[in-house]
This record gives sequence, C-alpha cells and structure tokens, in this order.
Amino acid sequence: MPSKKEDVMSGVSGPDGKMTAQCREIRIRVNGSWRSFKLEGDLDNATTLSYLLREKLGYTGLKVSCDEGACGACTVIMGDTAVLSCMVLAIEADGKEVLTIEGLPKDDPVVEAFAEQSEPGYGTAMQCGYCTPGFVMTSRALLNANPTPTLAEVKDALAGNICRCGCYAGIAQAVMRASEKIVARRSVK
Amino acid sequence: MIERYKPRVQRKFVGGYRPKLDGPDKASGRAQYADDMTLKSRFPDMLYAKILRSPYPSARIKKFDKSKAEALPGVVTVMTYQDPEFTSLKLTNAGWTDCVDTVTWDRMMFPFRDRRVLGEYGCWAGDEMGIAVAAETEEIAEEALKLIDIEWETRPFVLDPIEAMGNNAPLVHPDLTDSNILAPDPTGGPDVFENRGDVDKAFKDVDVIVEGSSTFHNATQCSMDNWCCVMQWKEDQLTAWSNTYAADQLRMHISEMLGLPLHKIRAIASYVGGQFGRGDTGDQPFFLVTSLLAMKTGRPVKYRHTRHQSFLNTRQPAIYDFKAGLKKDGTLAALYTKAIGNVGAYADLSMFALKFVPKELAEVFLAHVPNLKMEAYGVYANVIPGCMMRGVGNSQFNLIFAHMIDACAEKLGMDPMDFCIKNFATEWEKLPSDSLIEVLKVGAKRLGWKEKRHAPGKGALIDGVKKRGVGFSCHPSWHAEWQEKRRGKVQVNLTLNPDCTILLNAATIEVGGGSNTCNVLGCAEALSFLGIGVEDIYWTPIVDTKDGIKDCVQTDSAVSFLQSEVMIDSAKELKEKLKVAGAEILKIPAADLDFADGKVIVASKPSFKMTIKEMLRKGDNAPITVAKSRSPDVKLTGVPFFANFAEVEVDTSTGKVDVQKLVVVNDCGTVMYASGAESQQIGGQCMGMGEALTEEIIYDKATGIPLNFNWVDYTIPTMADMPEIEPVLLEVWKGVGEYGACGIGEGTVSCTPGAIANAIYNAIGVRVNDIPIKPEKILKALGKD
Repeated sequence: MPSKKEDVMSGVSGPDGKMTAQCREIRIRVNGSWRSFKLEGDLDNATTLSYLLREKLGYTGLKVSCDEGACGACTVIMGDTAVLSCMVLAIEADGKEVLTIEGLPKDDPVVEAFAEQSEPGYGTAMQCGYCTPGFVMTSRALLNANPTPTLAEVKDALAGNICRCGCYAGIAQAVMRASEKIVARRSVK
Repeated sequence: MIERYKPRVQRKFVGGYRPKLDGPDKASGRAQYADDMTLKSRFPDMLYAKILRSPYPSARIKKFDKSKAEALPGVVTVMTYQDPEFTSLKLTNAGWTDCVDTVTWDRMMFPFRDRRVLGEYGCWAGDEMGIAVAAETEEIAEEALKLIDIEWETRPFVLDPIEAMGNNAPLVHPDLTDSNILAPDPTGGPDVFENRGDVDKAFKDVDVIVEGSSTFHNATQCSMDNWCCVMQWKEDQLTAWSNTYAADQLRMHISEMLGLPLHKIRAIASYVGGQFGRGDTGDQPFFLVTSLLAMKTGRPVKYRHTRHQSFLNTRQPAIYDFKAGLKKDGTLAALYTKAIGNVGAYADLSMFALKFVPKELAEVFLAHVPNLKMEAYGVYANVIPGCMMRGVGNSQFNLIFAHMIDACAEKLGMDPMDFCIKNFATEWEKLPSDSLIEVLKVGAKRLGWKEKRHAPGKGALIDGVKKRGVGFSCHPSWHAEWQEKRRGKVQVNLTLNPDCTILLNAATIEVGGGSNTCNVLGCAEALSFLGIGVEDIYWTPIVDTKDGIKDCVQTDSAVSFLQSEVMIDSAKELKEKLKVAGAEILKIPAADLDFADGKVIVASKPSFKMTIKEMLRKGDNAPITVAKSRSPDVKLTGVPFFANFAEVEVDTSTGKVDVQKLVVVNDCGTVMYASGAESQQIGGQCMGMGEALTEEIIYDKATGIPLNFNWVDYTIPTMADMPEIEPVLLEVWKGVGEYGACGIGEGTVSCTPGAIANAIYNAIGVRVNDIPIKPEKILKALGKD
C-alpha cells in the first residue's frame, strides 16, 4: 500500500505550480466544471483517474472492469484524446479537461446511434451494456478527429475495447450511423 | 444483401426489428450495475472485504497469527475458519441448481457437498479460503491479509484429469473422498448413463467403423461486470445488493446456510454486465462470508472481485472419444461415446455437462440411433472448478459430434449434411426433421457450401502458403417450454392504471439477452385490446425480492417467451376484471361488454362510443391488478435445430487461422424480438470463435499456478478479429402456447468450434480436434513443429 505521507512525485506538477510536500491539491475540469481534490485520505499519488471519477465524483458511466488497460470499459476523453482512465493517475489529469459519458449532450449523435441500432443483419450495439460507455467515448474521440471514418478505420480505433457479448457488428454500424448524423447536422447548420 | 427473417405470423409488437428498450440507458451510461448502486457515497459507513486466496494448488493452514493485521489502522474485523460463525456452517457447493429453480440445501440438483465456507483447505491456486477481513478501504483490507502470518502445509497436487484418475494420484479432497473420480449421483445417473440396444453386437454387424477423440479446454465466461455484492445487516434484516442473476435463489441460499427466515432477507439486483453462466445461482460462498462480516460489524460490507479474482470457474473441460458404426447406405447404426471431465477442485454442476445434457441429447437428437451407449466420468483436480458456461455440456458434446459427422460422411463418401438429415431427429418426430433440413439448407446457401467445399486439403493454394476450407456443425436447441419445467411457477404481475397505462412486474435480472425488451413487447401484444403502446408500460431493471414474486432467471433466452406466455393468461383475466369494473361504472351487464383497440364495445348498442380510458376515469380510479402464475407446459413438442457454417483461411507457414465468414442459423419457433435475437447470434460467434481458436487458461505445471487470469494473456476476440457474420432466423418448428418459441442464446455458441474445426480440416486435410486450435497445434499437425 502506498504510504499516505509519501512526498509528491518529483517532476509532476500542476499548471498553477501549486505543490506542497505534505498535501498537494489537484484541479481537474470534469465535464466543464473545475473540481479540486486534496491528496489525503483515500487519495494519493497512486490514485487512478477512474477511481477519482467513479468513487469520489459518482460518474459511474465509465466501468472499471480489468483495471489494467486491457478492455477499454473505463475510457474517457482527456483533452482531445480517448484515454483509459484506469491507466491514468489522477495527478496526471491535474489542470486537464476530462469528459466522461455523463458530459455528452442528451442528443449526442454517438449515444443516439448506439441506442437506436437495430438494423437487420447487425443486431443491436449492446447487450449487457457494461462495455458501452467505453465504446461510446472511444467512438466519440474518433469522430471528433475524423467525422467520416471508413469501416476499417472504425475497426482499427475500436480494437482496444472488449465487448464480451460480441456486439461488434452492431457497434461498428452504430458508429457509421453516428458519422452520418454528424454530417447531416453540420449541413443543417 | 441482407435478408430479413419472415415471421410466420405478423404481429404488432412481438417479432420486429427495433431498438433495445434499455438502449438509451446503456448508451448514455445511466444504467446502474451493482458496483454503481453501491458507491461509498450511498453507504457512508460501508466497509470493504477481502478474502484470502490460496497461493498453492493444494494446501492447508496449519497455524496463523492475525495480530499484526488486527493492529493495522482501518481494520475493523478479521474472521477466520476457526470462528464459530464458520465452523457451524454446513458443507455446500456452488451449484445447487442448474439456475432455473429455487431449491433448498437438501434438494441440490447434484449433491456433491465438497465446499467449506471459508475453510482451512485451499484446493486450487486461487481458492477463496480461511480468512476474511473487513476494513475501511479495499487497500487496507488487502494489506491486512498480507500481514497475517500463515504457516502452510503444502500438499501434492494434480492438474490433469487422466493423472488424477490414477491409483497413486494425490487426492483433491482426502478428508471427503477416497478417489478423485466422482461417485455416481442420483441426477446424473450411473457411469454408463445411456445404454440402448446392444452397441457391441451392432459394431460387429456394421459395414464401417469410425473412431475419434476431441478435447475441449477451459474457456471461461469473462463477464465484464466482476462479482460484486454489498451486505447490510440492519434491524435484524439482511439486505443484499449484488450482481447475481438469481435474486430469489440468493435469498434462499442465505436463508438455508445462515438460518435466517426468508422475510428477514431482501435481495436486490439491477442490470448485470454479462453472465454467460458463471457459477451463479446465489450459492457462491463469498455471499455468506460477506453477510457474516456485515452481521458481525453491524456495518454494510462491500465485496468485489478484481478481474483476476473473477476468474472463478470455467466451462467444464472434457476429453471425448467416439466410436460410430455405419452401414453403407449412410445409416448410423451404433454409437458409443465416452467423456472424461476435469471438474476442477469442486464438483458443482459438472455432471450437468457430463451426463445430464448428453442424456437429453440421446432423446432430442440421437433418438433414431438404435444402438447407443454413453459413458462419462467427472474427475477432481487441483485447478479452477468447471461449472456452467453458455452452452453448458452442449458445446463440449458438439465438438466431438461435429468431428463424428465429418469423419463418418468422409468415410462413406457422403455430404455430411445428407448424413445428418438421414440420421438425426428428436424422439417425437419421424426422420427426416423438417427443422434440421431447413437450417442446413439455408446455412449452406448463405455460406456457398457447394461452391466452396472441396476434398480435405485439396483446395487452391493462396499466396503460396494459405489454404481455405469450409465446415459446419448442427445441434438441437434446448430451451423449448417443456424443457423449462424445473423452473416451477413463472410469475407475472400486471396493474392497469385508470389512465390505461400499465405497471409491469415480470421480474427477471437483465443480463443482456434482451428479455426485458421481449417482456414489454409481449405485454403490449397481449394487452392489444387496451390500444396501448410500449411507451405506456412501466418496467424497471430493479429486481427486489420484497416485491414478493420469484424472478425468472435468464438462462439462455428462455425468459424471452416464458413470461410473455403467462401474459396471454394475464390479459384474459384483466379483460374479465375490466368487464366487471366497466359494468359497475356504465351500469351495463358485464356480458354485454367487450374491449378492442382501446375502445369500449357494447354488444346491444353498436352506436355506443367511449374509450376504455374515458370509462375508467368515471369510476373510482382504483388500479386493477392481475397476478398470474403458471408452470411451464410440459407437453413434449420436441425441439428446433440450429447450425453454424464457417469458412476459414489457414496460413500453413505460421499455423494462423483466419476465419473468413460465419453463418449462424437458428430455428426459433417464434422470433420474439428480431434485433435481440440477431445480437445473440452475432455475439455468440465471438465467444465460440474465441473458444475455438484462442481462449484457454494456462497453468504453470511445476507449481500449479494459473498464469493468465487477465485479458492480455487470456485473449478474447475484439472487433479487429471478427469476420463477417450472417445471422439467419427461421420459424419452422413450433412449441406449445401462443408463441411456441424456444430460447436460442446459448445455442448460438455451441456449434461454432465444431464448424471451425471442420473447416480447418477441409482446408489443410489434417484434423486438429483439441481446442483452442492455436497456431502451434496446426504446425504440429502439418509436421512443421
């Protein structure tokens, strides 16, 4: 167990430069709001971002399934990038912007497309739904960077996420439909 | 070009392609699972539990000193096998039933009582045993376990079932049995559990004899939602939040083992993140350990597994041999099968896979084979226990079965499909089976069987090293209504509100199969006289035993129709009650009233115009409730069939197998929800392909320690691995009732390994029938190792 009194890891610093040897405070902008945490009690240098988001802030959309970066269920977007929040330390997110699935708008095209998928021949985009928030966030980051991916690009981007129910065909189809929604909404604007 | 399935009867709600009802909750991350429902912020005084896991495959705690652990700040209690709470408990197992029924301790389906709850013995490296800690955080609980000084007595161990059968093999349970071979049990029957005709005599009379063997290794369920429960002891009542999928059975398990009356136990569950048969009918010992920690401390206690710890049981690994006696005309005159199953450290439901299922296959598939002998042995070994996994027993048997049909047909110079049609059908139908013919015919067409099939190993060479081949396998489904009789009563409560909306309580813990969607569709269909839609029906993912009805456990997708069939009866009763209510409100005799499409019909007054809603709102506005309870109809209707077809490409220089296409064909009787059924079909291929090619638990033979309890080294197929999959839904067979459907969810996985293994044989002309078929096995078979 990491020692609670251990000094803050050297070389890791928040953008505001606030570092104290005894009790560092970190600030993370989660879904648009800045949140501050003191590294005390159950929080320390070894606390993962996934723990902070789930256990301290109650963002339970992301799931901690493997807790070692193998399944993608804990994916959130940090800055512009999809990250595995079980592999990111909370202190690494200091000063950064983090988006969890709860931060997506109600009419997010990716969420809508995942929920709606029922096209014959592909099944639905989820069964048990445990992996779904991770897939949605990985897909969201892909479509932010590349709004019109090919099927091959979708498969490549989502190959790090496990869906044990095996709904890969429905998921890929949902991402293609989400891409169409994004394009259609842009043309309306 | 995608072909939609064609329903036998066009219905308004049941059978269509439509989004999943829980899709919006799940796609937005709002869906709550056990771990989400039980955050510390919701239970501020909650403690966390950790249970010691055996570091050795066979060991006993000789002595221990817990003083350092107890002194660690944040540790609230350390309980051990020496405490009276545990020494007073009965021996149990983690397989009281095959999931569907709620039974008492004395009525376990397979009464192998070989598990101690927190016992002093560790029987596999990973066994939960001996000592449990409750602390303020998970880290402190884990640290406390490490601080306990334990003096171990390590004992000789055995991993391999054949070695375990030997006379001098170390015993897995020396204090309980004098042999590692399980004694015959009342449910599974004798070692030779099927013996029809005279196989020995028949083998002398046939024209051709074909023999073979197969090995099915230990794939595991890998539900993404790791085991999790919170037990709260408050005012002499125990409340259990968990991700078991059998709330009523969990309540009974705790009651029977801890001696609490049922009304003092409340089990609550919500969505479960995948089930796939993981050893779970509420009878896992950790539920009891966590309960006792909560009762001792008086605080809620959370126990959750890490991913590593959630590797807790596997599909029952088995080695099968077969001997088939054939006549020149293609008749299978005699068949003998023998299975040796590695049951692992605890017997649990192993005999379900090894005897119960094959015994059923003798009736539902092999019924027209005149001479049939089947034999099976379950053997203890110091490895992770074998238990239930999607397609229990059927998957293992189908691997040898697929091998047999391929080998027999080749020897006879027949198409294996013709061999199947000539020989296989249920006891309740004459040969040939319409259902079997159709699934094979459609599957062959969708894969391009005739065009792509060639003599084994004789296909064209691609890029100088690659060879393609096709294969298939077929199997009977096993969730027709008559096969669900052990469930006992299936219960549904319906309440009609005065505004014509419905409160539906069709309790079932939703593990992903889509039964909740099926239930709401079934409800809207049955209540069509109210003129309501899906949006008028309230349902909840929360199952709570306080509601007073038993949850219908989602084994397979049988729940997709079982509760909907009950709703047909509920609707009839609701209509009658509505007539009585209407008679009182409208002052018209009940016999003069009827309802259709939301409107009131008065037989004697055709011009009368009023909606049901208008009528009800003139009354006392009291809800009308119907509670229906019905045992499954046991009329023997046989079962429908399913088949899988595979095309593979094998790189003969590396041994790597690339699956090119999978076709999965299920005769469903009635498709209750097409998009959900297709998801089951497509998803099943992922699990089946993983089992066929990559998934396997690997042990260090020297220490008996499992090496790959993680998802980096235990490789589950991802999106990049999966080929094109074509799901095909058919309605040929029909069971009893309005829908006469049959669960298909389990069946979708069971033929995939056999189909892929046969396709590999067709490609390279050498048979590998030891799954997972990893590259090294292909190279060895090709003489290139």
